[in-house]
Amino acid sequence: MTQLLWNGLFVGSFYALVALGYTMVYGIIRLLNFAHGDLYMLGAFVGFGVLSVAGGLATGLGFVALLIVLIIAMLVTGTAGLLLERVAYRPLRDAPRLSVLITAVGASFAIEYGMRLVAGPNPEVYPVRLAGDPVNLLGARITVQQVSLILIAILLMAGLQWLVMGTETGRAMRAISQDPTAALYMGINVDAVIARTFFIGSALAGAAGVMAGSYYGKIDFLMGFVIGLKAFTAAVIGGIGNIKGAMLGGLTLGLLESIGTAWIGGQWRDVFAFTFLIIFLTLRPTGILGERVTERV
Amino acid sequence: MTSYLTRRLSRVALVGSAAVAAMLLSACGNGLASGGGEKSDDGPIVLGMLTPLSGSSSAIGPYMKNGAQLAVDELNAKGGVNGRKLELKVEDEACDAKSATAGANKLVTAGVKISVGGYCSGATLPTLPIFEKAGVPMLIPAANSNELVAQHKKNVFLINGTGAQQSDAALKFMKKEGATKVALMDDNTSYSKDIADTTAKLLTGSPALAGRESVTAGESDYSANVNAILKGQPDFIYWTGYYQEGGLIIRQLRQAGYHGKIMVADGSVDQKLVDIAGPEAAEGVFATMTQTPETIQGAEKWIADYKSKFGAAPGPYSTQAYDAVRVAAEAVTKAGSTDGDAVIKALEAIDGFPLFSGPLKFTPDHTLSSGGFQILVVGNGKIVLKDPLQ
Repeated sequence: MTQLLWNGLFVGSFYALVALGYTMVYGIIRLLNFAHGDLYMLGAFVGFGVLSVAGGLATGLGFVALLIVLIIAMLVTGTAGLLLERVAYRPLRDAPRLSVLITAVGASFAIEYGMRLVAGPNPEVYPVRLAGDPVNLLGARITVQQVSLILIAILLMAGLQWLVMGTETGRAMRAISQDPTAALYMGINVDAVIARTFFIGSALAGAAGVMAGSYYGKIDFLMGFVIGLKAFTAAVIGGIGNIKGAMLGGLTLGLLESIGTAWIGGQWRDVFAFTFLIIFLTLRPTGILGERVTERV
Repeated sequence: MTSYLTRRLSRVALVGSAAVAAMLLSACGNGLASGGGEKSDDGPIVLGMLTPLSGSSSAIGPYMKNGAQLAVDELNAKGGVNGRKLELKVEDEACDAKSATAGANKLVTAGVKISVGGYCSGATLPTLPIFEKAGVPMLIPAANSNELVAQHKKNVFLINGTGAQQSDAALKFMKKEGATKVALMDDNTSYSKDIADTTAKLLTGSPALAGRESVTAGESDYSANVNAILKGQPDFIYWTGYYQEGGLIIRQLRQAGYHGKIMVADGSVDQKLVDIAGPEAAEGVFATMTQTPETIQGAEKWIADYKSKFGAAPGPYSTQAYDAVRVAAEAVTKAGSTDGDAVIKALEAIDGFPLFSGPLKFTPDHTLSSGGFQILVVGNGKIVLKDPLQ
């Protein structure tokens, strides 16, 4: 049982990191950024590229090298998020919401198959792998690497929480989320703040990509698709637009999948997890922490 | 994922049959207009091949294409078939039903007489009716799901061993290794589930079935599935899917503390399996596989020819594709024409034609009478022959 919980928490923290980007963007400009999962993929490939170029140097440094790579990948995917917003979303900010949804789907395909042109269709294997001897803790097999990855995820999430609740930028973000027009009248540079939101959300997805690549080892150009869907689900469970909700939602989904697989088998896992989701949303349409999202007229 | 796939398959089948209808109409039109453009009996006989050149299995495409091309060139150097040269046309199957039906339609319109392609079973399945309606016999070198056989189409012949024959080989080796509790893992695709189903039926006495698990392809974390499968405390685990997930599952099984034996099916036989799992985790993993050029005794000259022609070593299904072309040529020679029905009769009559996997004689189901499966093992990070199971 503890093993189940641990597996669920570990997968859930990946979902949560990716879900944060979804929820931030939705919370501020009410846009479902379907290309978000592909920024996760982009992060994994940037990390792979940097590690391959660094070669033996990186293998020698191990974990430290991965931390440096993590930061580089976050900067690159963050910039990619900025570009994405500038090219595909900003010109359509006043257009009907459906149009933006379609450009988001288009952006997703463009990133996926663009990466296929660059890196080829075959899966790649990370040159530096995080693997260690597991320690038995209350019946669960836990490795130091797993714990450090979760710690990094928690640090990133805590940093985000501080940024949104404790800084000027964060206050501007929250103001825009309440009323973009009024925020503009109050002298907030709306474009700049939205761009920053995209940078942060995309960087978090990129970080998750590098972490997944270095832990699981295999990356390919379509790896962002499934996790994108899962993270979106997590964001909705938690109450879309709510940052703490996204974290909770990610962990909930991870646990549901882990327990569902153990109880009724892998082929029923998604049926179990998503049936639960439907029932839960019927009873509580705003998600776990969704009550703070007020519908604007 | 399954429902999504079947939905996609049925839609593709619909589109495919519509395309066939349109194509037949246009073919009739051509016939009326040109008054028998088919008379060019001295032109080349065109063979068509669908093989993955893009997508997840794109590594296989060149192996199959070059193997077939080698046979075409050899036959042409000997003067061709019935005085006509052979020509190979290749289309991308992408391991995807949509691309495969489009490719099959392209081949049929290009006037292909015999199809010598087909790698992914799920992608090959929807092409069967397209080739059947066009009267094109199919010699499938790689795809081997029992679903292909279960269609009972008279134009379909399998050059690779079938899923059932693979299961037989797997069981034989499990017994040899003294396995008592066998767990099966598949990825819910046509090919993978098929082998797992037939193997499960065989696991009645000893070894016994100790659990089954289906994973969702395309994810990274299979620890929940691994956890579930280890609950049955198996001492032998058989993975019947492809190498991308196979590598991850092997690694995660070992991380979860599983020390028993692991075996994979032929879709996982690829060096990338070892890379993804990591050489340490993959060491000692077995595989059921039909002959590859490296494991065939007496194929050294063939390998040298292949290398000198294409500047690269042959790989999985190079020999089967090579054999498919040779069998096609043999049938056309015997039939004396490229007429679909005559060629099918000639194929059914073949007895003892030498293939890499042994003398050829098709069963009434149009499969090989012996599958030719053998056991490979990962040794020092390379996949090598373990047991020919003869």
